[in-house]
Amino acid sequence: MKDSNELPVTSNESKNNKESEDLPLVTRHSLLILGIDTSCDDTSASVVADGEKILSNIVSSQSDIHKKYGGIVPELASRRHIEMIWPVVEEALAAAGLSLHDMQAIAVCHGPGLIGSLLVGCGFAKAAGYARNIPTIAVNHLEGHIFSTFLESKRPGFPFLSLIVSGGHTSLYMINGFGQYDELGRTRDDAAGEAYDKVSKLLGLGYPGGPVIDRLSGEGDPKAFDFPRAYIPESFDFSFSGLKTAVKLTIEKNPRFTGDQSSLRDIAASFQSAVVDVLVRKVEWAIIKKGIRRVVLSGGVSANSELRRRMREMADEREVELFLPSTELCTDNAAMIAAAGYYHFIAGDIAGLDLNPKAYLPLR
Amino acid sequence: MMPCLRRVELYMRVVTGSPEETENTGYRIGNLLKAYATRTVLLYGDLGAGKTTLIKGIALAFGIPKRDIGSASFVIVAEYDTIPRFYHIDLYRVETEEDMEALGIWEYMDSGGVAVIEWAERLSEMPEGAVTVRINYQDENSREIIIEGAIGDRL
Repeated sequence: MKDSNELPVTSNESKNNKESEDLPLVTRHSLLILGIDTSCDDTSASVVADGEKILSNIVSSQSDIHKKYGGIVPELASRRHIEMIWPVVEEALAAAGLSLHDMQAIAVCHGPGLIGSLLVGCGFAKAAGYARNIPTIAVNHLEGHIFSTFLESKRPGFPFLSLIVSGGHTSLYMINGFGQYDELGRTRDDAAGEAYDKVSKLLGLGYPGGPVIDRLSGEGDPKAFDFPRAYIPESFDFSFSGLKTAVKLTIEKNPRFTGDQSSLRDIAASFQSAVVDVLVRKVEWAIIKKGIRRVVLSGGVSANSELRRRMREMADEREVELFLPSTELCTDNAAMIAAAGYYHFIAGDIAGLDLNPKAYLPLR
Repeated sequence: MMPCLRRVELYMRVVTGSPEETENTGYRIGNLLKAYATRTVLLYGDLGAGKTTLIKGIALAFGIPKRDIGSASFVIVAEYDTIPRFYHIDLYRVETEEDMEALGIWEYMDSGGVAVIEWAERLSEMPEGAVTVRINYQDENSREIIIEGAIGDRL
């Protein structure tokens, strides 16, 4: 990956702002990238112009297409991705009013994620690119999350602090420029979103756990239970495994809690407060330690209302700029892959036909 | 079947008093796997038993830094480019036989790489020549770890 501090986005932005008044959304000068993400349960495809303008962003689980396939939301099976990839790509292109011929590049997520699922996206991108003579770009899923914020109207300048918090990841990065990522910390065991899912299952609240625990928390007492917070001194690393175990032990000792709505609300609120406390404190510490003035949140858990509220409070107090992507861009989507792919493309970083996905792929 | 000279019936019970000791026990298990060319570990233990901690130790014996091992619940199979290849498999989210097939769990076990499988009770049948590790919660820091299986070269 080439270093590139020179982002041509500024010139694009001003150009687009001027044009947006009376010209169509896509000009013939737009650089169009098809993004594909199959890293986990959802198949997603998107068309993004100039790395900043979303023309379409289709996620299979939210789309009507899957109804044609028996109403099954694609889950673990990679063969569901195989069934979904063409229809989802076609819908993304159709929604943008474009065809594959119009694309200058295909950006695909090559990890980290479920290997069988990643293989489908990478295989598709390479084959379609080869057949149509369109270059393929490999994008790390975490890089996609980091650059999802560039799809919003308010964009951060470099450097910024990026907290990626989802079902599969909890990582804190210093982003110095495109391709210049410095990992400050990551989870040593469970991701924050995973702790939500596992606790939700323990409480009998189902999957996914984030939205339901968030909702219950609003009516519960966050101080009812004193769950542990793993602050891990002198480190930006996270740990949520002990918190999950503490919730489990609490329920085991008091089995009646799971049948009692008010106890459930209190456990949910106390758990959520423990997660949010740690996330906010770590980011605050990084702000102080690194003297950074901009913070970006991304990943599915950044849709959590309490995390957003507390992070805003802290940012106001510390007088730093906070960037919270919209909910559709927080969760997994292909627009963010296309956005990050744009910067690879302009840096000349094109993948070969030997591109292979990786389940474990640290961002460097 | 031909007799094998290096076949060992293994039974060990360890009670650890801290996460560090649990990790060290994992490291010893990892070295046993290497010494006896055993490729599969079936790991049993409830949520919070310390499975990730134990696997950090096992993986360290194969040269994988502790930092690189986390929960694999989300990705289900985390693969590491070591020699032999190391697969950290977590079946927590895998509920149906169909998903098990689609994920190719059996192919990982037959690939010549080392496969450590969490929530092994989800497997519909047990692979041959695997080491079984059970990890039980005793109290906040203490864990009972039981290691058993017939290991060694199969001729």
